[in-house]
Amino acid sequence: MARFQYLILMGLCVLVTLPLEFAFDARVWRRPRRLAIALVPAFLAFVAWDLWASSTGTWDFDPAFTVGVTLPGGMAIEELVFFVVVPVCALLTLESVRNVAAGRVRLPGVDRLPGRRGRVEQP
Amino acid sequence: MPIYPTLSIGAAALVVALELLVFRTGIFRQAAYWVAMAIVFAFMIPVDGWLTKLSAPIVLYREADTSGLRPVWDILAEEFLYAFALLTLVILVWDRAGRSERAPDGATDDTDADDAGVAADRLPTATRRVEVRR
Repeated sequence: MARFQYLILMGLCVLVTLPLEFAFDARVWRRPRRLAIALVPAFLAFVAWDLWASSTGTWDFDPAFTVGVTLPGGMAIEELVFFVVVPVCALLTLESVRNVAAGRVRLPGVDRLPGRRGRVEQP
Repeated sequence: MPIYPTLSIGAAALVVALELLVFRTGIFRQAAYWVAMAIVFAFMIPVDGWLTKLSAPIVLYREADTSGLRPVWDILAEEFLYAFALLTLVILVWDRAGRSERAPDGATDDTDADDAGVAADRLPTATRRVEVRR
């Protein structure tokens, strides 16, 4: 089970941020084409960096906490998941903040932020 | 300087330059961006901390390649620059993709076609027509 630590951590990140998609109407997962476009350049650049840094030994992955599938040079396959999951978490956060700031959704317990029009009126 | 902090500073500078010279989304002038980054960095501490904590690290660094500065829960200082570069790059392309999807005149409002009825009054007239037509 310890071998799945990294993957479980990534799964938790997805689960914890998923409510933002709906509660704050972030609409990140529901705009898959735009999401894919947003992810690709950073994914390519940071995977290239990761492959290189793993192969030169700047960083390394403990086989006790990773599933054991590695790319050439020793980069753990979990890193590929990281470069999708973590950016999605950030986009969900950004879009949620934007929606709250623009008054498009309400913070729990807050009627609306001062000076903004409300939009989503809960029944 | 060791390789990891050097590359992290370089990556962060590159992304800032990309925004200022190429993308020009205006993201660094948006409060929402900085608020979101503050929230993301707060959550980065448990996540990245779990990955790199020295007691049982999942990711191990060659000490000579790092700054050796570990301000919070053994997270290397350069990891914050690394995260800034990674996430800002994603956000830049996200905003750019959103803009070209439906606001060719560069309106920054992140409004989809199905939001047009509610938010169209905040968009320039030309954009509003495009939104309504959809």
